[in-house]
Amino acid sequence: MSELLVELFSEEIPSNLQIHTRQQLENLLKQNLSSSNLKPKSLEVFSTPTRLTIHITGLPKIIKIPAAEIKGPKVGVPESVIDNYAKSKNLNVSDLQKKDTEKGIFYFAKVKGKEISTDKELEKIIPQTLKDINWKKSMKWSDFELNWGRPLISILAIFNEKFLKFNFAHLESVNFTMLENNDQIKQIKVKNFNDYLNLLEQNEIILDHNKRKEYILKKIVSIYKKKSCKEIINQSLLTEVSNLVDKPNVITATFDKSYLELPKEIIKSTLQTHQRYFTLIDIKDRMLNEFIIVANNKDEKKLIKTGNERVVEARLSDANFFWNRDKSFNLIKQINKLKKVVFYENLGSVYDKTQRLRKMAYFISDQLNINKEKLEIAASVSKSDLVSDLVSEFPELQGEMGKYFALNQGFEQDVSNAISEHYLPTGNSSSIPKKPISYSLSILDKLDNLVGFYLINEKPTSSKDPFALRRSAIGLLRTIIENNLVIKISDLIDYFTRIYLEQGVQEKNTQLKKELMTFLRERMKNILKEKKVRTDIIEASISSHTNDNFLELYKKTLIMNKFISKELGKNAVSTYKRASSILEQEKLELKNGPDAVLFKEEEEKELFERINIIRKAFTIKEERKNYEEHLKLLSDTKLSTDKFFEKVKVNDDNNDLKNNRLELLQILCSTFNTFVDFSKLEGS
Amino acid sequence: MPEKIKNKKNFFTFQDVVFNLQKYWSKYGCVILQPYDLEVGAGTFHPATTLRSLGPKPWKAAYVQPSRRPTDGRYGKNPNRLQHYYQFQVIIKPSPKNIKQIYLKSLSAIGIVAKDHDIRFVEDDWESPTLGAAGLGWEVWCDGMEITQFTYFQKMTGIECKPISVELTYGLERICMFIQQKKNIFDIEWNNEGVKYKDVYFQSEKEFSSYNFDHANTEFLLKNFEIAESECKSLLDKKLSLPAYDQCLKASHIFNLLDSRGVISVAERTGYINRIRELAKGSGSIWLSSQIEK
Repeated sequence: MSELLVELFSEEIPSNLQIHTRQQLENLLKQNLSSSNLKPKSLEVFSTPTRLTIHITGLPKIIKIPAAEIKGPKVGVPESVIDNYAKSKNLNVSDLQKKDTEKGIFYFAKVKGKEISTDKELEKIIPQTLKDINWKKSMKWSDFELNWGRPLISILAIFNEKFLKFNFAHLESVNFTMLENNDQIKQIKVKNFNDYLNLLEQNEIILDHNKRKEYILKKIVSIYKKKSCKEIINQSLLTEVSNLVDKPNVITATFDKSYLELPKEIIKSTLQTHQRYFTLIDIKDRMLNEFIIVANNKDEKKLIKTGNERVVEARLSDANFFWNRDKSFNLIKQINKLKKVVFYENLGSVYDKTQRLRKMAYFISDQLNINKEKLEIAASVSKSDLVSDLVSEFPELQGEMGKYFALNQGFEQDVSNAISEHYLPTGNSSSIPKKPISYSLSILDKLDNLVGFYLINEKPTSSKDPFALRRSAIGLLRTIIENNLVIKISDLIDYFTRIYLEQGVQEKNTQLKKELMTFLRERMKNILKEKKVRTDIIEASISSHTNDNFLELYKKTLIMNKFISKELGKNAVSTYKRASSILEQEKLELKNGPDAVLFKEEEEKELFERINIIRKAFTIKEERKNYEEHLKLLSDTKLSTDKFFEKVKVNDDNNDLKNNRLELLQILCSTFNTFVDFSKLEGS
Repeated sequence: MPEKIKNKKNFFTFQDVVFNLQKYWSKYGCVILQPYDLEVGAGTFHPATTLRSLGPKPWKAAYVQPSRRPTDGRYGKNPNRLQHYYQFQVIIKPSPKNIKQIYLKSLSAIGIVAKDHDIRFVEDDWESPTLGAAGLGWEVWCDGMEITQFTYFQKMTGIECKPISVELTYGLERICMFIQQKKNIFDIEWNNEGVKYKDVYFQSEKEFSSYNFDHANTEFLLKNFEIAESECKSLLDKKLSLPAYDQCLKASHIFNLLDSRGVISVAERTGYINRIRELAKGSGSIWLSSQIEK
């Protein structure tokens, strides 16, 4: 079987660049091979920190290009166009043939069938593919012009045990690979892929990143098993680590038990985020004073193990030093230091932000009926931990540390929790804050971001959202919905805007509120799509939604979606469609609503009564609303409406009666539309 | 007086590490320079790196650079942090093909034999807003400990580098803690006569922390910043790149002190950084034209 081997040997390429470039190489190769009529049987791209290796099988030795007649320019176009066309086909103009087609007379070129040897073609395709790579981040080195992820040292290229010769940038392809041995580097000739793999294996290098990952995973799991630990693997860490080594050596090491008294989050951050180790948690959810190192070398003298242990020791002792000092730092006294921390240019400092949150606590606690004093305290100290040494060492622990400091200083549990939980949710699948002080503060914090950035016109675009405002908005809506909260967001936006302006922020967007509400509704669409709600129902709800009650919007939409194809939904939709189709025919300017005096038939009166009952039911207090009941009310009008259409002739000769009946249907429809916009619903 | 210790240690002292690195890089062909005689935040600020990394002329140099970061002061109470520390800096232009192996060999010269350790190149891209500089590279880890910054400069003083220099920055205190197995910076053995880091720098850390955080006269500093800035600009007009760059360094250090005194407000911060960057850019571009003319 034919076989192509290409290896790009470089200095260490970062994990995420490896992943991105592997994928690109695979796609580009497929494309470029196929435009040369080459269809490989298999195509794989592997990586280690220093190698990007392509292995392709099943290419023919010779590419056969069949004879063909290729349509060219139309007869009558300028001569230069014809000349160029002929040239592009390696023909003279006299060799072209004119042919009649349905679209007129065209030149045709007869191209002879030919055979190209695949190796010659590959010598063109490979450098072209390398040139096509679009690095997410790249660099130059020495005095070369090439841009690559990290300095590219050599390109090995072999097809069917034959060396492929081509140039790429300043490099010439070679028939050897590079092997590093500590501070030495050697060139070693390679015959084929098997030979290459054997060579790497002899040197304990696992080329295939997936196999490397599996190998590491197996080792870690067996350690977890042996120590009766939970087998929860940090997948992104595993991927990163397996791209940081090529000859993995999994080592278990320990740290002093006394550090287990530190908050668990600090230890986890130290070990996982900073040092790329795996932590061990036993089945009772206790952290062990052990960790797993994935080294890239044998540890014959046990220097690697003890070295890493000393680093952990130093880091934990550092963290311990900061913890002991910071935990007694008075959170309230730290607030002033936040004046030095930028929130965002033109939006003042984080201190200004906490002041806004504190003032807003007053309004939202009123709306949500929660403890105002507690929320004010939580808002005031919510960002104080940002100026602690611990958070400047472990930025990912913002909030978490504040919570520990607060508990340590005797703040109440719910206030302390709010300091960490107001950052939730951190992602689309992360949990939301569930406790009143926490969710109120979370809502304020996110709304503060939204109002602030909209105020200075730093709005997200379709491709860019540098301040993660979409995430803020979705988090805000999820927090409202999942906690069943009725919030007057519109008022909160006004208050926030006022406070921002009082603090001297320059207003650059006068449409802020309108735009922000639209932005929130758009995000609501995402949330509803995630819930697998039919698109037309989403459209129907969103377009009828004019107030700022997102909980209502959410509940109504879900109810509509649940019942749309059941009796309840079908009846409502068909009733609406029947009434609205008559209104559409008439195209009348209606305004005043029906006049009860003009009702002649019992059925008219009955329908009007029903409508009034519904309208009344729709205006009851939010907390007591039951949207299934509402839909049922709408659905139940079917009976009265059917009777109405059966007994009453809308198109009465008396114009007043006719108009009054149309008014009745109009009010029926508009009542439906206050629920959701029924005109946007498909079918019945 | 501490009892005199026999120099039968099986590791290198602080000064051994400096000597050995100097010897190693001298053999490689570097010009061994002495520290720059102005306060700087890192070895990169030495004109032998900042300015020499610009322009077409090849350059190889190595030197120790005492570096000051006023906000990192901890009154000598933190075992891992200092407001004044040492970097060993190597700068080579253009970056040589086998620089990785050359670097790994330099580690053997200070007692770190690659065969016995886990030496890793972990992504770390570098940027200096005050110098208008950026580079790509790694932090080099030895058994989980960061011992060197390894950077290919892409931009310096706002100017694209061509050819590209490679910069190696060894953290001398960290390396010594590693090879001497010390948990506290102040316990590092400075020489074979029993002198420790503490004996040389403890008092200085205490006093300078106090100066940096509490006593530096901010009124003078603010005035000095203005003076340095205007002097730099007037020297730039006279096309004197090196004296102008000195004033830029002064402005930069004064800014760091002001920052550590806590008198620079959020809104002002970016402004100061931009002002320093302008001085660096001016110095860099005049230096560059002097390099191309000759």
